[in-house]
Amino acid sequence: MRVSCLQENLAKGLSIVNRAVATRSTLPVLSNVLLATEQGLLKLAATDLELAISCWIGAKVEEDGETTVPARLLTDLVNSLPPERIDMELVVRTQALHLTCARNEADLKVVDASEFPLLPAATGEHQIALPPETLRQMIGQVAFAAATDESRPILTGVLADFSGDKLTLAAADGFRLSVRSAPLGEVGAEPISVVIPARALSELSRIAAEEEAPITMTITPGRNQVLFHLQGNAGALQGKVFGIDLISQLLEGRFPDYNQLIPKTRHTRTILNTGEFLKACRMANIFARSEANIIRLSVAPDHMTIYATSAEMGDSVSEIDAHVEGDPIIIAFNAKYLIDVLSVVDSAQVALETTTASSPGVIRPVGDETFTHVIMPMHIRTESANE
Amino acid sequence: MTIRVLPPEVAAKIAAGEVVERPASVVKELIENAIDAGATEIRIEVRQGGKRLIRVADNGCGIPSAEVELAFARHSTSKLSSVEDLTRIITLGFRGEALASIAAVSHLTMLTRPADEPVGSYLRLEGGNIINREGRGCPVGTMVTVENLFYNIPARLKFLRSETTERQHIDQLITRYAMAYPQLRFSVTHEGRLTFQSTGSGQLSDVLIKVYGLEVAGQMLAVSSSQPRAEDGPSEDGQEPRVSGYVSVPTLHRANRDHLTFFVNGRWVRDRMLTHAVEQAYHTLLPVGRHPLAVLRVDLAPAELDVNIHPAKSEVKFLHSERVFATVQKAVRRTLVEQAPIPVISPQSGQWTAADWERRQALITADRERLPTQLALDAQRPGEFLTPAQQAEDKLPPLRVLGQVARTYIIAEGPSGLYLIDQHAAHERILYEQLIAQKEQSPAQALLEPTILELTPDQIAVMEEQLPVLTRLGFTIEPFGGSTYLVRAVPAVLVGTDLRQALAGIVDELAEGRMSPLAHEREKRVIASVCKQAAIKAGQVLSDEELRELIRQLEATTMPRTCPHGRPTMIHLSQAQLEREFGRR
Repeated sequence: MRVSCLQENLAKGLSIVNRAVATRSTLPVLSNVLLATEQGLLKLAATDLELAISCWIGAKVEEDGETTVPARLLTDLVNSLPPERIDMELVVRTQALHLTCARNEADLKVVDASEFPLLPAATGEHQIALPPETLRQMIGQVAFAAATDESRPILTGVLADFSGDKLTLAAADGFRLSVRSAPLGEVGAEPISVVIPARALSELSRIAAEEEAPITMTITPGRNQVLFHLQGNAGALQGKVFGIDLISQLLEGRFPDYNQLIPKTRHTRTILNTGEFLKACRMANIFARSEANIIRLSVAPDHMTIYATSAEMGDSVSEIDAHVEGDPIIIAFNAKYLIDVLSVVDSAQVALETTTASSPGVIRPVGDETFTHVIMPMHIRTESANE
Repeated sequence: MTIRVLPPEVAAKIAAGEVVERPASVVKELIENAIDAGATEIRIEVRQGGKRLIRVADNGCGIPSAEVELAFARHSTSKLSSVEDLTRIITLGFRGEALASIAAVSHLTMLTRPADEPVGSYLRLEGGNIINREGRGCPVGTMVTVENLFYNIPARLKFLRSETTERQHIDQLITRYAMAYPQLRFSVTHEGRLTFQSTGSGQLSDVLIKVYGLEVAGQMLAVSSSQPRAEDGPSEDGQEPRVSGYVSVPTLHRANRDHLTFFVNGRWVRDRMLTHAVEQAYHTLLPVGRHPLAVLRVDLAPAELDVNIHPAKSEVKFLHSERVFATVQKAVRRTLVEQAPIPVISPQSGQWTAADWERRQALITADRERLPTQLALDAQRPGEFLTPAQQAEDKLPPLRVLGQVARTYIIAEGPSGLYLIDQHAAHERILYEQLIAQKEQSPAQALLEPTILELTPDQIAVMEEQLPVLTRLGFTIEPFGGSTYLVRAVPAVLVGTDLRQALAGIVDELAEGRMSPLAHEREKRVIASVCKQAAIKAGQVLSDEELRELIRQLEATTMPRTCPHGRPTMIHLSQAQLEREFGRR
C-alpha cells in the first residue's frame, strides 16, 4: 500500500472514527484503526464490535492495500505533524507503516488487516432517507432519556419506529420517557421498529453535525444491525471527507409500550416560559443536589413557585409567571430530569401537565405536538401522610 | 404405686442437686458467703478440679460458736428474716440452703471465729450429719473445706466432666467475682500452685489485666455511669440503673458471647436481655458473627430486681427491663462513639519496639508496687491509638485525597499519617447516616413502569412484616397476587443502580438475618441493606472530584470508622509507623 493525503484530512478522518475505537478490549486489534484504499480514496475504520465508524478521505492512491495501526498512536502522531502532505507506505518486510511528512519520518508497527473484523456494506431491504437537521434535533430530544446502567439493556437504546410517513423516537430509563416524532419525506415500504443503542445515535448526531444531504438509514436483512450513511463533503468536512458510515448493533428485546406510559388525562396545565423555568430549576438544584435533587413545584392560579431545601445548607424559593388551567397542585421532581428536558425544548413556552402529586408529569413544548416528555414525580413522605 | 413422703436424707440430696451442680457451684456458694461476711481477702484452694478438695478461707466476720450448728440447718440464714426482706435483698445469699446442701453431699469441715470470741469453732460433717465439734484456735474469719464432693451421689459423680473442665469452670467463676469485687483480694491455688491473684486495689482495670492480659485489657474502654437525660423523663422512683465497667474497642472481638460478663448488684448473672443490649450498642460496628468483650456492672435499687428465680441465682428478673436495656445500650454506645479508636496497621506481632518495651516495663513495675494502675493502663495503650481528646469534635481529621487504589480504596493523607479508605464501606456509612437522619421523610422516586418482584414464601413473610419500614424508606410496594409484588417507587438513593438486583439483594438480606425484637433496630437493618445496594461498588472508577466529595461527606458522619455492617471503612497508617517501617527512627 502506498498512499498520500493531507495532514488535515487524515486528522479529521481520525477524529471521526476514533469514537468507535475500543478502549478496553480483549481483542487487541480493536484498538487499531483500519487504513485501506478504496476507489481512489483512503478509508479509515474503527470498531468496538457494537459500533463501527468508517470514513473516506481524499487521498492520492499509488498502490492499493490495507493495514491496521494503533489508533491512539496514529492520532497523536498525525495531530503533531505540520499541515503538509503525508506519504504512507506499508513495508511488508518489517510489518511497519512508513510515514513521511515534511522533514519528519516515522515507522509504525502494524497488525495485518485480515485480523480486523469485517464491516457490513450498505445493502439492505429497508433504506430510508432522513433529513439530517430533523434527525439531529430528534436525537437531542430523546437520547438523553435512555438508561445509562446496563440492568435492563433494552432501555439503553432508543426505539425508532417507522410507520407510514412518520418516524418516532422514544427512550426511557425507568423514571422518565421522551418521545419525539417527525414526518418523513417519503412513505416507507412497511412499518418497522428497531431499538438502536443511544450511544450510537449520539455519535451519529455528533458526526452529522454539519451534514446537509439526507442521511440514508439501512437495516440489515437479519435486522440485527443498522447502517447510517452520510455524504460528508459539507461544512468543515467539505473537500476532506467523502462519505461516512456508522454501523451499530441493534438491541434485542421488547421495548416498553410508550403510548401506555403517556398519561391520557390531566387536571392541571401550567404554561411557563421555557427559559425562566429552566433557570429556576438550575437555581433550585444548587440546594437540591445534596438532597437527591428533589425540588417542589407549587402551582397557584397565576404563578408557579419552586422550592428546594437542603438540610445542611439552607433553602431557596423562586417564583415564575405561569398561565394555569385547572387545579392548584404541589408536586416534586428530580431537578436534573427537568433541567435535561427543558434544555432540549426549542419553543419559547412549555406546558407542564399534571394530575396528582403521585402521577407522572408531562412536559410538552407549546405549539408543538411532536415532542412529549414524561417524568415520574418524587415523593417526600411524612410520617403523618404515611399512617 | 403408693405415694410416700420422702425421707429427709433423700429430700436433702435432691435439693442439693439444684444448688450444687458441680464443684464450681460449691465455690460459688462459699465465695458468696465470704463476700456477705464482709471479707477483704478470699483464698481458694482446689485439688483435682474440686473433686478431691475445695477450701475457701476468708477474713470475714465469722460465725459465733453458738450458731455454728444452726448454719447447717436447711433454710437457716442470717441474711433474711421475713418475707418482706426478699424484696430488698442486698446480700448475695439469702435462701439459707447453700451450706446445708453442700454438707449433704460431701465431707465438710468448718473452722470459724468471730473477732469477739477468743476461740474458734471446729465442725465436721459427713453427708449432712455432724460427727465432730470442738473449739480450736484459728484466725478471725471462716474457712470451709469441702472434701470428696458427691461421694454419696455416685450418679452425680459419674457425670462430672474431666478435671480440666471443672477447673476451668472454677477459674471462670472466680475471675468473674474478682471483676465484680475489685476491692477484694482473691487468690486461687490449684494443686498447691497459685494460678490467679487479684490485687484488691479496687480498680477494675487491675483485675482486667490479671484476667485478660495487658494486650486485651489495654483495648478496653471504660464505661461511665450515664447521666440521666432529659429526654428519658424522670423515672418513677428517681432510681436510674447505673452502669459501669469496661467494653472492648470495636476492633477487638470474639467468636462467642462467653466474654460478656454482667454483674447486677454485684451478683454475676446470665441475662439475654443484657447481652442483647450490649450487642445492640455494637450494632454496625462489629463484623457479622463476632461478639464484643464486656465486663459491666449494673446497679439498681434492690426493689427493682427479683433474684429469687433459680436456686443458683444466676438469673434475675428486672422490674423495668426496658429501662435497664436502654440504659446499658446507651452507656455502651456512648462510650464507643466517644472513645473508639481507628484500627491501626499493626507491626508484625512479636516485634516489640523499644517504646513498647518501656510501656510494658512501666506497667509491670507499677503493677508490682500496686500503684493506681489506670495511669499505667493509659501509658501502655499503644501510641498509635488516637486518644478521645485528640479526636476532638470532628470525628475525622480533614483528609487530602491522594488517589484510588485497585478502583476500590481511596488513599488519603491526614495530619497524623496515611489513611486507606474502602470506597464502598465509606459510602455505605454516609448513606446510612443520611437515611437514618431523614427517615421521617425519605425522598422517593416513582418508577415509569413498576418493577416486578417474585418472592419465595419465606421472603413474602419478611416482606409483609417489613412493609411499613420499606414504605417509610420510600418504597411503594404493592401485592400483585400470589408471590408477585409490584414496586412502584424506590428511595431516591437507589436511582442509578440496578434496581432489580438491588431489590433482590435487599429482600435476601432481610430474609436471611435474624431480626431484632426492637422495631427501630429492625428498621436500621433494613436501612443498612438499602445502603449496601445504593453505595458505590468496589471496582467503580471515581473521578478526583468524586473522591474528594466522598471523603468530605465521610468526615461529616458521626461514626466514620465502620460501615453499617460493621466492617472497617478505613485503615490508618500513622506517621510514626511509616517512619519506623522505613527505619527512620
